[in-house]
Amino acid sequence: MKHIRRLFRIHRIFVVQELKRMMEYKGDFIVGVIGFLMVQCSNLLFLWIIFNNIPNLLGWSLNEVVFIYGFSLIPKGIDHLFFDNLWAIGHFTVRKGDFDKYLTRPVNTLVHVLFEKLQIDALGELIMGIALVCVSLPQLQIEWSVFKVLLGIAAVFFATFIFTGIKIITASVAFWKKRSGNIIYMVYMFNDFAKYPVTIYNEVIKNLITYIIPFAFTAYFPALYLLTGENPLYNVGMTVLMSLALMSLGVFVWHRGIRAYESAGS
Amino acid sequence: MIQVENLRKEFKKTVKEPGLKGSFKSLFRPKTERVVAVDDISFEVPKGEILGFIGPNGAGKSTVIKMLTGILTPTSGRCTINGKNPTVSRKSYVKEIGVVFGQRTQLWWDLPLRETYGVLKEIYEVDDKSYKERMAFLNETLDLESFISSPVRTLSLGQRMRADIAASLLHSPKVLFLDEPTIGLDVVVKDNIRRAIEQINRQEQTTVILTTHDLADIELLADRIVMIDKGRNVFDGSVGELKTRYGQIRELNFVTDSPDPKAALDYLRHFSIGEEDVSVKCEGSAVKVRFNSSAVPVSDILAYTLETVHVNDISVKDADIEEIIRRLYKQGVE
Ligand SMILES: Nc1ncnc2c1ncn2[C@@H]1O[C@H](COP(=O)(O)OP(=O)(O)OP(=O)(O)O)[C@@H](O)[C@H]1O
Ligand SMILES: [Mg+2]
Repeated sequence: MKHIRRLFRIHRIFVVQELKRMMEYKGDFIVGVIGFLMVQCSNLLFLWIIFNNIPNLLGWSLNEVVFIYGFSLIPKGIDHLFFDNLWAIGHFTVRKGDFDKYLTRPVNTLVHVLFEKLQIDALGELIMGIALVCVSLPQLQIEWSVFKVLLGIAAVFFATFIFTGIKIITASVAFWKKRSGNIIYMVYMFNDFAKYPVTIYNEVIKNLITYIIPFAFTAYFPALYLLTGENPLYNVGMTVLMSLALMSLGVFVWHRGIRAYESAGS
Repeated sequence: MIQVENLRKEFKKTVKEPGLKGSFKSLFRPKTERVVAVDDISFEVPKGEILGFIGPNGAGKSTVIKMLTGILTPTSGRCTINGKNPTVSRKSYVKEIGVVFGQRTQLWWDLPLRETYGVLKEIYEVDDKSYKERMAFLNETLDLESFISSPVRTLSLGQRMRADIAASLLHSPKVLFLDEPTIGLDVVVKDNIRRAIEQINRQEQTTVILTTHDLADIELLADRIVMIDKGRNVFDGSVGELKTRYGQIRELNFVTDSPDPKAALDYLRHFSIGEEDVSVKCEGSAVKVRFNSSAVPVSDILAYTLETVHVNDISVKDADIEEIIRRLYKQGVE
């Protein structure tokens, strides 16, 4: 308990610092958010055009698709907000030998890395996601219950760690290969498929994002449960399971990687 | 308290054949070869000692330090501090040590220095009272006051080095590892840092392991020297021992007006000694003779020189540690 409190105190210092820095580089932040919103708006415009021509895409209505799309941005945004330092690990921290400093400190290296940075830009994603969910909800006839709300929150929580887990695993490759920025990027990009109902894809992509890089459990499956109330055991249960599996694998690979870490000559 | 036993570290290196074809080949079937950076290093350091850990560039010093600080996992061999082993219990091990790499900072680039110490306070679980006292002490010994509010990225090298050393001492470690802490610093800052190291060592019996290429650091601070080369121990002992073991070389300097002193002075024949024991260098009228005083006594060399050429000004110099180490680095140790 004391340990956790200590970690949160450390986190708070970094968060405050990150906020200060954001104020310092305001322009950078604003440009980032505007850029993000423009991309999202063009995606939505694209959806809107499709649905204007075919009001019913393989049984999905525009509102349902927007709900899934919005839902997908929430865990993605949370992961992006809190745990983005993993990109730095893959891109340069390991290659330059700057990972040394984590190893000389009496804190779990993974926790230290995860807590060290706050990526404020992610707020764009998060706000957009929440807004889309809120906009689409009133037009969808969803029966709510306390149980369903709780499962919904749990789904967001565990879905977040599907993102984090995948990033940890791919970032760890850097311990052996010196850099893994491109690998993180390549794998991470598959989450774009998960923003839409997986039933619109062919078998290959469907299986890929369900079983191999299971981003489908960050959006489509839990959202499906919330929309229909069907099969929570699979739709949410698998999200939890995938999340735990990926995080465990991530922690394992990370610590294996540390043993292989070679620093850099200096 | 520190025990290093048969430490070895191999790095994997991918060998790439030149050209595009080579790149393709190594993409699919990367050829790796092993580079032995540290071959077999053993030594012990008792509590409270300042150990000068030296050796030529690429000898493996930093690699050893990285294994001793839990950064690198040894290929084989062991190191322990008070029985603790970094590969077994890294977190409790690193709590007892402080580390500074002169070449790179461990501080957060964008944080003001004061905040950096605040984070380290939490990381090392230093309580408020000790933190306050410690900061006051470090502030005074390392003179941090003038830049403690500046972000780390704005510090000069000398300021940053002092900031890094203070950071490594915040949690009162039992052992302090310093890898080239005086690199690139001016004489005043060097002095300040040496004094701080000495003070910490004296007041708190902090054990210090120090690598450096500035032998003044060694002469002023080190109780003992461990020298390595090509990943192996070559010398382990006090500065005095180093001098008596390898320091039989003396230097005779004089000025002469004799026309060709080099031809006139035939030390080789006169004393029947080999080239490894004596060398003569002339620069205009100044002559420098380096000789091994265990092969020829100083008095004999002096007498022979004085009776052979006309000498104006003469002096005999003890080889200093720098000279000894230069020779050792150049030739290696047999
Ligand atoms: N991360 C690494 N990957 C591959 N080889 C390395 C790595 N670090 C060091 N080496 C190699 O190991 C050997 C020892 O390097 P090390 O940095 O320990 O030397 P050093 O004694 O600290 O030298 P210097 O005085 O120049 O700092 C060198 O040949 C170096 O090329
Ligand atoms: Mg070095």
